[in-house]
Amino acid sequence: MAVITAPANTPVWVNTDRCKACDICVDACPAGVLSMQAEPTSTLGAMISVIAPESCIGCNECELSCPDFAIYVADRKEFKFAKLNDSSRARQEAIANNKHRLPADYKEAN
Amino acid sequence: MAFNYDKYLRTEKMPTLWCWGCGDGVILKSFIRAIDKLGIDKDDMCLVSGIGCSGRFSSYVDMNTVHTTHGRTIAYATGIKLANPTKHVVCVAGDGDALAIGGNHTIHGCRRNINITFILINNFIYGLTNSQTSPTTPQGFWTVSQKVGNIDPTFDACELAMAAGASFVARETVNSPKKIEKVIIEGIKHKGFSFIEVNSNCHINLGRKNKMNSAMANLDWIDSITVSKKKYDTMTPEEQMNLLPTGILKQDTEVREYCDMYEEIKKAHQGQRGKITQDDFEKKI
Amino acid sequence: MSATREVISTGNELAAIAAVDAGCMFFGGYPLTPSSEVMHVISDLLPAKGGASIQMEDEIAGICTVIGASMSGVRALTATSGPGMSLKAENLGLAQMAETPLVCINVMRGGPSTGLPTRVSQGDILQSKNPSHGDYKSITLCAGNLAECYTEVVRAFNIADRFMQPVIVLLDETLGHMHGKADLPTIEAVEAGIVPRKKFDGPAEEYHPYECGPTEPATLNPMFEGYRYHFTGLHHDKNGFPTEEIETCRKLIQRLEDKVEAHKDEIESYEEFMMDDADVMIIAYGSVSLAAKEAIKHLREDGIKAGLFRPITIWPSPDTQMKAYTDKIEKVLVVELNIGQFHAEVQRATSRLDIEGLFKVNGRAISPYEIVAKVKEL
Repeated sequence: MAVITAPANTPVWVNTDRCKACDICVDACPAGVLSMQAEPTSTLGAMISVIAPESCIGCNECELSCPDFAIYVADRKEFKFAKLNDSSRARQEAIANNKHRLPADYKEAN
Repeated sequence: MAFNYDKYLRTEKMPTLWCWGCGDGVILKSFIRAIDKLGIDKDDMCLVSGIGCSGRFSSYVDMNTVHTTHGRTIAYATGIKLANPTKHVVCVAGDGDALAIGGNHTIHGCRRNINITFILINNFIYGLTNSQTSPTTPQGFWTVSQKVGNIDPTFDACELAMAAGASFVARETVNSPKKIEKVIIEGIKHKGFSFIEVNSNCHINLGRKNKMNSAMANLDWIDSITVSKKKYDTMTPEEQMNLLPTGILKQDTEVREYCDMYEEIKKAHQGQRGKITQDDFEKKI
Repeated sequence: MSATREVISTGNELAAIAAVDAGCMFFGGYPLTPSSEVMHVISDLLPAKGGASIQMEDEIAGICTVIGASMSGVRALTATSGPGMSLKAENLGLAQMAETPLVCINVMRGGPSTGLPTRVSQGDILQSKNPSHGDYKSITLCAGNLAECYTEVVRAFNIADRFMQPVIVLLDETLGHMHGKADLPTIEAVEAGIVPRKKFDGPAEEYHPYECGPTEPATLNPMFEGYRYHFTGLHHDKNGFPTEEIETCRKLIQRLEDKVEAHKDEIESYEEFMMDDADVMIIAYGSVSLAAKEAIKHLREDGIKAGLFRPITIWPSPDTQMKAYTDKIEKVLVVELNIGQFHAEVQRATSRLDIEGLFKVNGRAISPYEIVAKVKEL
């Protein structure tokens, strides 16, 4: 199988040259790991950002659902992924309710 | 697992020209994973695409690729395959390409049961040319060619394929990339015409004027109109009318494949066997 | 080619045999009177040699399979008549644009539309010049007797591979169904004369299929051999990928024109029958030329020094040579089974508006006596 090695200590990483800010990966993530951020130079004025890599559970939903080869997830052998918890879920909900952007004033639970 | 798609891509063509969130990219990725899992050499496969957004599929894969005239992928592919029967030939076409202008070739590709894998990317609209009605656009939807509402009925492409004789028929949606990968693998492995419909989201051209402005809304709609075959088979006709079954809908390994039968013609002409008669076939009509 | 093989056959059958002798390994088509016999014959010949022949669901599918097979690297043939040419037009255009060699035989019949399916005409001359939309240069050959139903098909395959585009070979219903004797070149001579399409054999990274001189065709390697590139009907760059870049597009169209125009001498072909001392020039092609030659014999017996100029390559037309004659000969008569399609070209090429015409459009052949009578009227 054709694989890429993940960068060291990285659960999920993005290629901003290819991302079109479609929001799908942010929507798909259960753990609030991803968020769009304002980016005036891109077509939709936004760009993907990995905001909470420590919450990544390695479910791979972001990579599977990305149409643009713009996001990659490490192998379980390369990274010890987190477990889904209430704090991650809460962050994800906040992101989802704010047009896929983490609210500027968001305070982490617990 | 970080799959290395770049191995199979013409990376200088990235990013794709598809709209943000377009399901075509998900299908492309699933296709690439399938090829890799099957261990197919890039030089042993030809990919033929039609006209439309899905037509750009062929620009992106690093193989021998052909971008045909509208509706004719299967006709070109039949020539490539029959002239090179040991090579893999895959077609990618949209709902307009395969079912409107190309309908006849789709029917006969299925009928011939020639060993081609045909991926129908059905986004229920003519996307590239901006929202004209396609044979699968639901009635009552807004399209640019019927702005007060579409009256054209639709049909089930998989039912057509089965009736026309395709020996492998499957349907999945872009909500399930791993399932797309699986049916492409099974379709390529299958010896015969493999008809694979993949429902994709076109939130820009279908969705925007039909209350599905975002990729997610369009994807949710696709979810709402599809259901596994297992569940579909338990439903009433009234329920079935508004749903499309997903999964492998037909898989017949007994039907003779066209290129194999053509080898028999060659043998008959070269004196290695007698004439082909009805006895060579189970089906007598 | 020196003729040493005597064969008795029909024009359609000779065309099919010629294709196979010239190395054709694929036929895709659809039955259409009066061309169907080409398919019937070749459907037996090809599988015997390990090639493939397929009757498709329609004319369009027929040409598409041929283009696909040719793109993959094999010599490929289709055969049809007027209505089929109309259907094939769009894809012939793709073959022009993508520079895919193929031979397309048109056994002309009465048109337009369904017309006269079993009757002769030469009504597709203008269509052959531009069957498809857009700018490109047609190469169209026209067999004028039974032997040419063979030799022109052989020549067509070599021209197609040399210029990397479709070549149309015109027969007509009379020749297609005519059963008689033909003196053919030997198979050895035909095989010795096969010039396959050029191949690039350097490293794949250095291969740019559509990068070539301004009067040269593309060098398109067969599929499945390590040279992975893209075919498209869109305007494309040196690697075959779609582009709208201004200079690239301009150069591509110019090259499609110039690759033929600059090498017309390699394509041009005509017969000059008794033209040395002719006072009357008859221009005729295809089966009509047979009647014209007969008419010339009668006219000469009656003291009229008539001669025949017979274009064998119709497009590009032999304009220079025609004009060389029409500059000196006052009486020029074009005889054809249409309403003046090549006549218009003769007037254009010779800058003369007084070229005479004998046109017949009722699906019947022109007899030598009709030609004699018309010449005597001039």
